[in-house]
Amino acid sequence: MRKIPGIGTYAIAFLIILVLIFLLPRMMPGDPLTAICGEEVLVEMTPELRTELLHRFALDEPLWSQFFVYLTGIMHGDFGYSYYYNAPVLDIILEALPWTLLLVGSSLLLSTVLSIVIGIESGWRRGKICDKSLLTTTMILNGFPNFFIGIILLLFFAVYLGCLPLQGAKTPYSGLAGIDSMLDIARHLVLPLIALTLAQIPGSYLLMRNTMITTLKEPFVRTAKAKGLSEVAVRYKHAGRNAMLPIVTTTGVRVGIIVTGALFIEIIFSYPGVGLLTYNSLFMRDYPILQGVFFIVAVFVILANFVVDLLYTKIDPRIGDDNTEYAH
Amino acid sequence: MHINYWRELTRSNFGKLGLVLLCLVLVIAIFAPFLARYDPGEPSLSILMPPSFAHLLGTNDIGQDIWSRLLCGAKNTLLVALGVGVFTTLLSTVIGASAALVGGLYDRILMRVIDALIVIPAFIVIILVAAYVLPNVWTLIFLISILTWQGGARLVRAQTLSLKERMSVYAARTFGANKLYLVIRHIIPDLSPILFAVFIHSATRGVFMEAGLAFLGIADISTVSWGLMMHHALRFYYLDVWKWWLIPTGLALSVTIMALVFIGHAFETAMDPRLRKMEQEDWQC
Repeated sequence: MRKIPGIGTYAIAFLIILVLIFLLPRMMPGDPLTAICGEEVLVEMTPELRTELLHRFALDEPLWSQFFVYLTGIMHGDFGYSYYYNAPVLDIILEALPWTLLLVGSSLLLSTVLSIVIGIESGWRRGKICDKSLLTTTMILNGFPNFFIGIILLLFFAVYLGCLPLQGAKTPYSGLAGIDSMLDIARHLVLPLIALTLAQIPGSYLLMRNTMITTLKEPFVRTAKAKGLSEVAVRYKHAGRNAMLPIVTTTGVRVGIIVTGALFIEIIFSYPGVGLLTYNSLFMRDYPILQGVFFIVAVFVILANFVVDLLYTKIDPRIGDDNTEYAH
Repeated sequence: MHINYWRELTRSNFGKLGLVLLCLVLVIAIFAPFLARYDPGEPSLSILMPPSFAHLLGTNDIGQDIWSRLLCGAKNTLLVALGVGVFTTLLSTVIGASAALVGGLYDRILMRVIDALIVIPAFIVIILVAAYVLPNVWTLIFLISILTWQGGARLVRAQTLSLKERMSVYAARTFGANKLYLVIRHIIPDLSPILFAVFIHSATRGVFMEAGLAFLGIADISTVSWGLMMHHALRFYYLDVWKWWLIPTGLALSVTIMALVFIGHAFETAMDPRLRKMEQEDWQC
């Protein structure tokens, strides 16, 4: 059984992220000011601004007091200033974040439900044509990187057939309101969502199928069958429900993978989320944005893992303060 | 009980297919200089040409022959696969096995750090670091390995813990074998199946991450990388060039990853006794 890492582990992960963002620009050869503020700052650099920035980041002081200044900033929600967008980093990221959350959230839900269902069906029919073709299809799908799946969908549905929108999250200046605007957003979401979900399914499906197969060998399944329960009840209520546990525990890890996948998918469909922001910032060498995105995404993933662990102890009481893994 | 993993691998259909595909990519990488008719880095005046006899897959926006670039990209991809595979496996082995063998506080601290590192999405860290470092192939291999060893280390540690309690190790110890001898003669050979699984996994992840980073535009311009080719090709999606520029490159990348995924899957199925038995039943019928 999996051990619950506990709050200390998450605190360490958080600390690693903080230190990484702090040290990375300061360790780079060259001017640390450019590495902290991004290359765009050079455009408007004056001696006054330089002295002011040096003072703000305490770059003329020892490393530990720089770290203190940096920590105080983050505690106040100050993630720096983007000289490219001429706005605080936090504002820019918060503007992009809802789109990413929409994409990631819907994909997490869809891929989880789909892989649970096809995993159960496939495991139940192990060795039959249905199972073999599902297994082969997902294994082939597993070979396709998420960005290539996105590209194929984009080229086929948006460029070749032209039946779905090519880019963006909504039609600009359309003046749509209410239900029409929601439909418009949904139409724009379809392709990125399918791409992200398709890339996500193979991993969870294989896990679900394997657990389903081992669960079906358990005595309680035979008991359920012997009681004369219907096949569907045995498959879903008894075997399926127990086989779902590993999928639930890996939700935190899957959030990390989906968020990373969303970065790529957003770029392909020009979806105005955090991924597209990252891409543009990479291009502009806008380091404050990159640091801010990294911090927020990493903290989001850590929190997701933490919440899943809390929920998991509630769902499955067999887990908890089981410390067998460390007992050696 | 020792299982002949090579035989198990060649017995499964996925394993066979994976090996064939991987050999194909390997042959292409080795014979690329003979198969390519142009220098892959050589620009020419005939830009964005459709496929013809002179240029099997046409030319790109600066007149380079796409077919030649596609062939040369195989070498880069396999280099990354091998490099990341070997280096990550090495790191995982040293860290995982030492944690299991030394034990105590050292083990506890390492496991804490590994648990924490597993929670952090590695790819995003690599994007941030690579944005600063602007890596070439070798620094990229180093970077990916140094940031993704944690999963493998945990596996190696768990396996080493169970190996060191084995009767054979105990017997060797009673004969007066020292620690180094035990590790070299008993622990490492018995770890080899796990190490191969870690190797294949890391290699797959390495190929995927290299292509992904290059697709984001983080790559050395002078290397011929499939991800970088896709990065450039995507800007011309509104022209017909995607049919012979973007799609073949993406397929080449997918075939390589697929080969590694198939081998990994076949091997893991062979290693898991519960799954092994039934997959054999599966594929015999």
